[in-house]
Amino acid sequence: MFPRPIEQYGQGTRVAYNAVLPLALLVWLIPLLAVIWFSIKPGEDFTTGNYWGWPENGFQGITNYMTVFTQSAMPQYLWNSVIITVPTMFGAVALSCMTGFALGVYRFKGNLLIFFMFVAGNFVPFQILMVPVRDLTDQMGLYDTRLGLILFHVAFQTGFCTLFMRNFIRALPRALIEAARVEGISEWRIFWFVVLPLMKPAIAALCVLIFTFIWNDFFWAVVLTQSPESQPVTAGITAFNGQYRAMYHLMSAGSIVAAIPPVAMFFLMQKHFIAGLTLGAVK
Amino acid sequence: MRSIFKTGATALAAATMLSGVAYADGHGVSGPLRIFSDMSNPAPRAVMEDMVARFTAENPEVEVELVITDREAWKTQIRNVLQSGTADIVNWYAGNRMAPYVDAGLFMDISDLWEEGGLTETLASTQGSMTMDDGIWGVPYTYYQWGVYYREDIFAELGLEAPTTWEEELSNCQAIIDSGRACYTIGTKFLWTAGGWFDYLNMRTNGYDFHMDLTAGEVEWTDDRVRATFENWATLIEMGAFIADHQTYSWQEALPFMVNGEAAAYLMGNFAVAPLREAGLSDDQLGFYQFPQIDPSIEPGEDAPTDTFHIAANAENVEAAEAFLLFVASAENQTLINNGDNLGQLPVNANSGVDDDEFLNAGFEMLSNNAGGGIAQFFDRDAPAEMAQVAMQGFQQFMVDPSTLDQVLQILEQARGRIY
Repeated sequence: MFPRPIEQYGQGTRVAYNAVLPLALLVWLIPLLAVIWFSIKPGEDFTTGNYWGWPENGFQGITNYMTVFTQSAMPQYLWNSVIITVPTMFGAVALSCMTGFALGVYRFKGNLLIFFMFVAGNFVPFQILMVPVRDLTDQMGLYDTRLGLILFHVAFQTGFCTLFMRNFIRALPRALIEAARVEGISEWRIFWFVVLPLMKPAIAALCVLIFTFIWNDFFWAVVLTQSPESQPVTAGITAFNGQYRAMYHLMSAGSIVAAIPPVAMFFLMQKHFIAGLTLGAVK
Repeated sequence: MRSIFKTGATALAAATMLSGVAYADGHGVSGPLRIFSDMSNPAPRAVMEDMVARFTAENPEVEVELVITDREAWKTQIRNVLQSGTADIVNWYAGNRMAPYVDAGLFMDISDLWEEGGLTETLASTQGSMTMDDGIWGVPYTYYQWGVYYREDIFAELGLEAPTTWEEELSNCQAIIDSGRACYTIGTKFLWTAGGWFDYLNMRTNGYDFHMDLTAGEVEWTDDRVRATFENWATLIEMGAFIADHQTYSWQEALPFMVNGEAAAYLMGNFAVAPLREAGLSDDQLGFYQFPQIDPSIEPGEDAPTDTFHIAANAENVEAAEAFLLFVASAENQTLINNGDNLGQLPVNANSGVDDDEFLNAGFEMLSNNAGGGIAQFFDRDAPAEMAQVAMQGFQQFMVDPSTLDQVLQILEQARGRIY
């Protein structure tokens, strides 16, 4: 097993480990803790230079979070994120279940070639797609719409999902599919009633992964959308960064709010998330 | 922010508005009107959408097609839009920033509209910055003042008055330094704040016209007049007028020095007032004065970055576009869009009302009546972007170590040779 469990090390190493681990954890979390701290401080603390100290006039956490929800377009941004993330998740996973099934079960000429094309797509750095994709969306009349973002994400994520699903389906016992064929069941029903139920763990893992990817996407949100009607929350947070002035306390509160759904998703579906990271890797 | 209108000004504004409508009706404007705007931040976006709604309500025959582009992205897109003839009206900036589009014949000369619409009187303060090659190329819709925001209570404690001359400025500053404070806070991490200092020192030392020639690349940076500006700057730096380590702060991070009384003043745009008030400075503690004169024979020039609307040279619906520009320039519209609930800046139209606010009033008064030299747009708008970047880097270096002046000027002069 790698890494070796800590219990198997000597006394000294274990003591050092126990001492250094909390410290490393703290250092690791400092940026996050700073954001949480800033999100409950009043705005004037940033102008008086009281960044880390106790706020003189008390904490303003509730006020800050209320402001984020009532006096900014934050609810709209959050809703946009949901509208973008959920269909993308379903779209990419549904498509990749089908492509994965086709590539994993059927033997036909060009199977490997098609599969490699899906995989190769993942190796294209998405930054170089920025200009062409933006132009394409513009010409299709989808620039600055949620649909444009959804379609692009579905297209781009399907490559990775197909790799994942195809490998998973390959690992299923072929005997199950052949037994169903012997019984004279149509291919469509084999997919629906035999393979799909077996894919549930993969589907769950993939849904969690894609949800997190898309929710946290900033790059494409900025490239393809720019109005509060269509921007997801990651891009919308910059609205607190006005033309002249950054509202650090509101930006921090907004960031915390934006981070809650993926973090909640992670803790609720932790098992699937970790499964998702390793499922595709083993095969 | 308080938003109490001056009733008199509003009535006046309404009267002016009527003439604007009459002009529009007289032409019976109709048809499609394509507006490309860069007002993409939330508040300006709402203002832009509201202006279109009100204009359409008054001119129901016009079908406005509004495209709002990200403010930064627009800087690279405007040329394409103007050349492809897809826009009737575009947003842009006043001053030298217009030059590429005026020179390329992409903006329409609207001098006649200024004459007929009475804009030469109502928008007099910016006529200079909208004029180029004997034409007038657009109308402004908003600007804001720059100047020195200072701690009145510290000045009172030391028995100082707001300075109007360079001698007073230097003696004030010495008194402030002797009391253990810095005269000025500044954060030059993002460079542009140093550009503000250079603008003012150069406009006071050599005048507005020289400053415009310099930013337009027509004067050598190694010129003795430029050196004179830097010498005045060096006087302040060497006496310790600025806070230490300013190159590590953003403009916002430099605010605490003023709030906590470690520095007495800040040369900044009017947007600095809101955070200073939030930090607990009352209007009794906070004051504003115009940057003091250095050479008494020179009319004061002021920085007031101005945002504008222009008609494309190949516009298809010129009449509707002209009606929209008159609508934008009207006192009523400018009062409304610049109030505290909207842009929170200064209207350009001299008949507009300003929110009852000490600093907005002071700025409106200063720009309307006491900026005889002319209105500059700020260093990074007056100079081409590439030149501004190099130059502001040089200003920062000079502020950190004034002895590098020769080296800095050499770099700037080389950049001038390359860029213009």
